[in-house]
Amino acid sequence: MKTNRREFVKAGLVGGIGIGLGFPAFLRRAYAAEPIKIGLPAALSGGYAQYGVQAKRACELYAKEVKARGGILGRPLEFIYEDTAGDPATAVRKAQKLVEKDGVKFLTGVALSSEALAVSAKCPEWKVIFMSTINGAGALTAKSWNRYFFRVNTSGPMGARAVSLYLIESPMKKFFALGSDYAWGRDSVGSFDKLITSAGKEIVGKDYPPVGTKDFASYVTKVRQSGAQGCYLALPGQDATIFFKQAYQFGLTREVKPIMEIVELENIKAVGDAMVGTIGGSRYPFTLDTPRNREFVKRFHETYNMYPDMFDGETYEGVDWLAQVIQKVGGDDVEKVIEAWEDSPYEGLEGSFFMRKCDHQAVQPGFVVEAVKDPKYPHPIPKIVATYPGDKVTPKCRTEDFA
Amino acid sequence: MSILIEQLLNAAALSALLFLVSVGLSLVFGILRVVNFAHGVFYMLGAYFSFTAVALSGRFWLSLVAVPVVVGLFGALLESSTLRFIYRRPPIYQLLLTFGIALILEEGVRLVYGPTAKPMDPPAALQGAISVAGITYPRYRLFLIGLGIVVALGIWLLLKRTRAGLVIRAVAQNSEMADCLGADVQRVRTLVFGFACALAGLGGVAAAPMTSAYLGMGISVIVDAFVVVVVGGLGSIGGSMAGSLIVGAAQTWGGFYFSETAMVIMYAVMGAILIFRPQGLFGEEE
Repeated sequence: MKTNRREFVKAGLVGGIGIGLGFPAFLRRAYAAEPIKIGLPAALSGGYAQYGVQAKRACELYAKEVKARGGILGRPLEFIYEDTAGDPATAVRKAQKLVEKDGVKFLTGVALSSEALAVSAKCPEWKVIFMSTINGAGALTAKSWNRYFFRVNTSGPMGARAVSLYLIESPMKKFFALGSDYAWGRDSVGSFDKLITSAGKEIVGKDYPPVGTKDFASYVTKVRQSGAQGCYLALPGQDATIFFKQAYQFGLTREVKPIMEIVELENIKAVGDAMVGTIGGSRYPFTLDTPRNREFVKRFHETYNMYPDMFDGETYEGVDWLAQVIQKVGGDDVEKVIEAWEDSPYEGLEGSFFMRKCDHQAVQPGFVVEAVKDPKYPHPIPKIVATYPGDKVTPKCRTEDFA
Repeated sequence: MSILIEQLLNAAALSALLFLVSVGLSLVFGILRVVNFAHGVFYMLGAYFSFTAVALSGRFWLSLVAVPVVVGLFGALLESSTLRFIYRRPPIYQLLLTFGIALILEEGVRLVYGPTAKPMDPPAALQGAISVAGITYPRYRLFLIGLGIVVALGIWLLLKRTRAGLVIRAVAQNSEMADCLGADVQRVRTLVFGFACALAGLGGVAAAPMTSAYLGMGISVIVDAFVVVVVGGLGSIGGSMAGSLIVGAAQTWGGFYFSETAMVIMYAVMGAILIFRPQGLFGEEE
């Protein structure tokens, strides 16, 4: 009996240790194996691939860093990428696949506003959070908003606001406006016209070259003839590249200041020195001199051997903020994350952010940059010429203009 | 007055570029009876290869000579490995094949060079602007005008004054008869196709410093080139020249005076010619 009891105690001890250490360890492992999943239905091919690619590489870098510090709440962070080719119907299909098959609770990385509007409309039904880090359309946080949608990036109206504040203060008086002959180009020229006229300045000419114009020589002549000091350009990527190339060869850009809604690194690289002197808005200029950003740019450059563009920075901030909220909530429950995210602050690469509750638009500074040459870099860089605080550039709740 | 001269030069530079592309398209149709949808892609290849050549060697002039040769060889290779086998089939097969080649090459360029446009600068000697007839005008555009004239003269001499030109014209007129008389029709076709591709490649090299090398530049130029060929007449060199001048002028003047209808003017000219002279200005009736 004695020996039996001793054996019983021994067995009990072993079993107890087993339960006390082994089982929870087993449980811990099972728990740890359940990753936090973020899905990216992103344009990775086609004409808008550059935006999807930026979102993807920002996420890959972030995933690597999270892995190095042991995950979030001890759980690994997993990004799942799907190619939408920039098509709204495909974006919805791929997003649905990510939600239903892969079980993601968070969607991000959608490149186009048309795709974003389509995907966002489905999120209340899927009960997943859609975090925009790229999409500019004002409607996303106005008439098409729902509580599953969060916008971490600067919206289109916010970017345009920063540029207009800058122009109102500038000494330039006469402007020419050149917009591609389709909805976006004409709308942009229309709002620019209104802004300049209401600021007591003058539009000395405007014109609408067809999309895909190869030779801008006659437009260059016209801008020069008009006596404008600044020329506003609403030309899509490729057309803008060609315009700059040719305007530079005619010497126009030294006489007339080019103004764009957005000055992206991608465009600067494509145009080269011909773009020097151009001013415009930037959602995230990598030249920002904050300690966090200097660190980020260094790590980004070490990983990819290039400097981060606008949506590299904005997407990185987005996933980092989301990860912090998940950390705070202690899990990835969608409803709890929404509640915790609302009215919460975040210290990002660009400075202080605030996620307002009323329309889930992140209030953040607006930047105006000028493309300048700097011998330290292989291409011209966006230099910040003006920074406006978030409350000056963010439209009122659930609106997309400043009326 | 100075605006008039400036617009004239603008039209001439654009026409020169259009001529380099459309003349090859016209030649291929005249001799191979193939409407080559992939022609614009060779223009794009010229621009991208030139970017690589300049990045590697630092010499624009070298790329202006070497790249067309490379693009031409590549074109000849494609002709002898694909197009050769379907000359006898209905034209829709050739259309599908060349369209497919265009798509494959375009995606290939995207894979190799990435989606971003590649910037190019004119060679040092052609940078900046000079004063001509009271206006300051970019040197590079003047060079384009000169290049267009030299190439046009060269092609004319080749076709009218050499034995090779004689054989080419014979094949164009009646390939079966030429075959019977001992001309190697297959070889002529391959050479002409390669030559046409080389011209498109030359156009791409010449265009790159003006527009940079970008995806879609081939598709955008091929539309204009088709208009040129329809206006001037398929298969006619003089027609390509006249068509280039008309389309170049329509785009430049239209863009200046009535920019919103510039495209309409170009297509209206084409429509009028299709109605009143369906074979084109210099084309021969079949």
